[in-house]
Order: sequence, then C-alpha cells, then structure tokens
Amino acid sequence: MGALGSLVIAVLAFIGMPLFVVILAAAMLGFLVSGIPLTVIPVEVYRLVDTPLLLALPLFTFSGYVLAESRLSTRLVRVTSAFLGWMPGGLAVVAYVTCAFFTAFTGASGVTIVAVGALLLPALVEGGYRERFSLGLVTTSGSLGLLLAPSLPLILYGVIVQQMDLPNPFTIRELFIAGILPALLMVVLLTIYSIWTTRHDDLQGEAFSRSVAWQSLVDMKWEIPLPVIVLGGIYSGFFAISEAAAVTALYVLLVEVFIHREVAVRALPGIIREAMVMVGGILLILGVSLAFTNFLVDAEVPQALFEWIRTFIESKFTFLILLNLILLALGAILDIFSALVIMIPLIVPLALRFGVDPVHLGIIFLANMQVGYFTPPIGMNLFIASYRFKKSIAELYRATIPFMFVLLFALAIITYVPELSLFFLDRG
Amino acid sequence: MKFIRYLHRFEDSLLVLALVSMLVMALLQILLRNFFDSGLLWAESFLRILVLWIAMLGAMVATRERNHISINLLSRVLPPQVYTPLRNLAMLFSVAVCATAAWYSVAYISYEYQDETIAFAGVPVWVCQSILPIGFAVMALRFLIGMVDRAEFWGR
Repeated sequence: MGALGSLVIAVLAFIGMPLFVVILAAAMLGFLVSGIPLTVIPVEVYRLVDTPLLLALPLFTFSGYVLAESRLSTRLVRVTSAFLGWMPGGLAVVAYVTCAFFTAFTGASGVTIVAVGALLLPALVEGGYRERFSLGLVTTSGSLGLLLAPSLPLILYGVIVQQMDLPNPFTIRELFIAGILPALLMVVLLTIYSIWTTRHDDLQGEAFSRSVAWQSLVDMKWEIPLPVIVLGGIYSGFFAISEAAAVTALYVLLVEVFIHREVAVRALPGIIREAMVMVGGILLILGVSLAFTNFLVDAEVPQALFEWIRTFIESKFTFLILLNLILLALGAILDIFSALVIMIPLIVPLALRFGVDPVHLGIIFLANMQVGYFTPPIGMNLFIASYRFKKSIAELYRATIPFMFVLLFALAIITYVPELSLFFLDRG
Repeated sequence: MKFIRYLHRFEDSLLVLALVSMLVMALLQILLRNFFDSGLLWAESFLRILVLWIAMLGAMVATRERNHISINLLSRVLPPQVYTPLRNLAMLFSVAVCATAAWYSVAYISYEYQDETIAFAGVPVWVCQSILPIGFAVMALRFLIGMVDRAEFWGR
C-alpha cells in the first residue's frame, strides 16, 4: 500500500497537484502505514506558531513587494552606473550588483528579471554589448543575490534545519554572514568573464562625472540607509531577524509611500494581499512539511538512506559531487521552495554524517538552486525572460549557457572550499 | 453570487488585516522593549498565531486563484486525452486530502475546546486553531469546484 500510494502521489505531483497537497498526502500515507492516528497532522501544522523566526517571512516579503512597485530599480541602476559605469565591463557590473541587491530583497521570484532586467537590457544593448550576451547576462542575474540577506530561501533553509534539532546548530545570522563571500565570488567571476568576452567589442563606457554621481546619490538618499538597517541591524546583532523585518517594512513604507509617493496608499491592500498569498502558500508548505519530516525521522528514513549511500560512497568529496549533481537536477525541475522543503529533511542529516557543516551545506544548496533557475530545459527564469523579452526559449538557452558554466565553476569552488563560506564564522 | 463576492472580500480583508496587525504589534513591541523597558506579555503569542493565520488565509486565497506552487512538468508534454483524466484525479485527490485534514483538525481542536486552554489575553487556544479546519475545508470545497469547472491548478 505504501509503495502504490507513493507512486500515485508522485504521478499526481508531476501533473501539477499543489505541492502542499503532495506533501500532506505523503505525510498522511506515511502515518497511516505506521499506524499513527492522523490527528498528528493538525498538531504538526500548528507547530508553525512555535517558530518566532517565521514572523520575518511575511514582513520581508511585504517590503520586497513594495520596493518592486516603487521606482527603486531605476534609481539603483542610475547610481550604480554613475559609480561603476566607467570601468571596463562597467555596465555588466552594474547589472550584477543591481540584480543581486534586488534579488536579496525580493527573493528571486522572477521580480528581478521583470523589474530590473527590463531596464538593463536596453541599456546594455545601447552601450554596445551584443544582444545575446546582454540577454544571457540579464537572465542569469535574475537569481544572483539569493545568498545575501534577507533573501527568503536563505531564511527558510535556516528555519527548516533549526526545526530538525540537529547536533550542530547555527543561527540565521551565521547563515547570512556565510553567504557574503560566495555571492561576491560569483559576481567577481561573472565580471571577469564579461570583460574577457567583450574585449573586442566597441563598448561605450560612461565617463565618470562627479555631478551625475552626486545627483544619483541624492536621489537615492532615502534608500541608501536600507541595507544598513537590515544588514547592519542583523549582522551586528542589534535586531533579532523578525525585528529587523518589522523595522524594514516600516521604513520602506515611509520612504516609498510617504516620501517618494511612488506607491499609493490605495494600492497597499492589493500589494499586501498579493505578497501574503505568496507567503501563505510557502508557509503552509512549510507547515505540512513539518509533519512529513516528523514521519521521516520516526521511520528512520535518513539513517536508512545514509547506510545505503555508504555502501558505494566513502568520502565527503564524492558525496559532495553527488550532492551537486542531484541538486542541480532538482533545481532545474523544482522551484526553490519545493526543493527546500522536500530535500532538506533528507539531505541535511546525511550531509552531517559525511562531515559537512550545516551552514556550508545551506550555501551549497542555495548556490545550486541559483544555477537551477536558468538551467535548461525548464529553469523558471528562462521562461520569465522569454515571456518578458519576447525571445524564444531556444534563444535563451544559447544566451545563458556560457554564464551557466561560469557559475558552475563558482559552484565548484563554493562546494570544495568550505572556508569561503565559513571564513568569518567561528565554526570548527 | 453577490454573497460569495462579499465572502471573498471578507477573506481578502482578513488576510491584509493579519499582516497589518503583525506589523503594528511587532513595532509596538520593539518600541516598548527598547524605550520603556517593558512589553505586552500576550503580544508574542499573538504574533506567532498570526503567522498561522497568514499561512492558512493566504493558501485559501491561493486555492481560489489557482496560484499554488506546483511542479507541473507533464501538462505541456502529455496529450489532452491522457492529461485531462489525470488532472481530474489530482483534483479529486486534493479534495480528499484537504477534507481529511479538515476532519482531523476538528477532532484536534475539540480536545482543546474541552481543555479550555488559554492562548493569550483570554483568547482560548481553540479559537486560534479554528483557522485550521476552516482553511482545509474551504480548500477542499474549492478543489471540488475546480474539478466541476474543469479548471487548471494554476491560473496564469
């Protein structure tokens, strides 16, 4: 009954049955087979209230949605191009930095490509970059910044792992710090690639102008403190994560609604509603996956999986290669939230036994997912870009492939050099 | 049908209200703690229960708008005569799963109702939990409507 049930659930999952139903059904099936009464299901879902950290999710998402509605993207492009535009490959760097910042706040839900990419693509082409290169660059950048605070998937990874009561705990703050250098590495490698590949092109660099730079800064004066509030507050430990989320939401509201007046008060209920529908869906998936994880642990599935894998894998090194392959494949098929809730309960106990640090694992996990966003054939950002820029999917495959190799190289470094993630942390 | 529209408006408003109260309460707590060295005892519980309500209300609206996260690999690949019956089966399956969850949620909160446990500020726990059976039941109903309407799981 267990096997047949699992098969039916798997098939229906690929038909498009909502993920929360898939996980809920799997948990129910598991408890039924083990003879545990299903009253455990609501008890587990209610555990959502045991995690104060979750407060940060709705609040940060709300801030992200308000920022996406404002003209922050325009200002951000202007300020970065004023300061970085004169460099060789400057405009490409502008794109990377802007997108990374934007994605950290909006959580790589495709908003970056729609809001920022649409601004950057014409600017790049006008600046003399070939169209295919520009297209690839913009699509790739749509998931850059996933490793930076306060990105939703990063918080979610921390929340799920903390629920699992592992022997080697960590704080969300450590996770935020761990993401900095790997994200920087990706931007640096992408920049080197961009400069190298465009070395024969006739690019129109923007001369640095002190007055333009100053003006762009003045335009941004209200938003510049934002990273200080979020990152400074969290990294320094002055705010708890959920407090930083509340303060950020308040600040974003004040700036975009009352100072810049780019988001109308009338529009707020609609924005809140849209943001909460997205967060609500994710939170419910998290809730039912708490039940499912409980079943997995009860049934000692992670142990069994470990014993089985141990029969053909010995070293941490081989394990990491396998992990990368599996995660890349998953990242291309599943969206990031599905992949997080399904894979973490299985992979984290396994990785710990192979001696991988859970913080490092989180960074590896998300870096893989980031590449998965634009991995052919069905990376989500490929479709968003294809829709937004009116280009065929095949064209986008060709455009993004070189960028994918650059990021795969970055991924390899991130995976096999744990020090990159753990450098600022005091973790043995 | 006008009644249904009001019901949808009410549901949306509750969802928006949940976030607004979350923001206001969280800010109030920060203010009280940092400047007055105090805080509301019940606020912490209230905030956490709002997370549950946002989860359920948001998911209810997502079900209404066919906006749930799903994997959806096969809809583009399979021929309609294979895909359509499978999709109907998936809808029916979703109805059954949500209805079962609603049923056991009722059992769960009826224990809490008998125990008369208080969650915060005189509000009993079962009231906070009531969104669980309501949410699952509403989603079951919506999947049922979706099946009758031959709707897709995703709207856009």
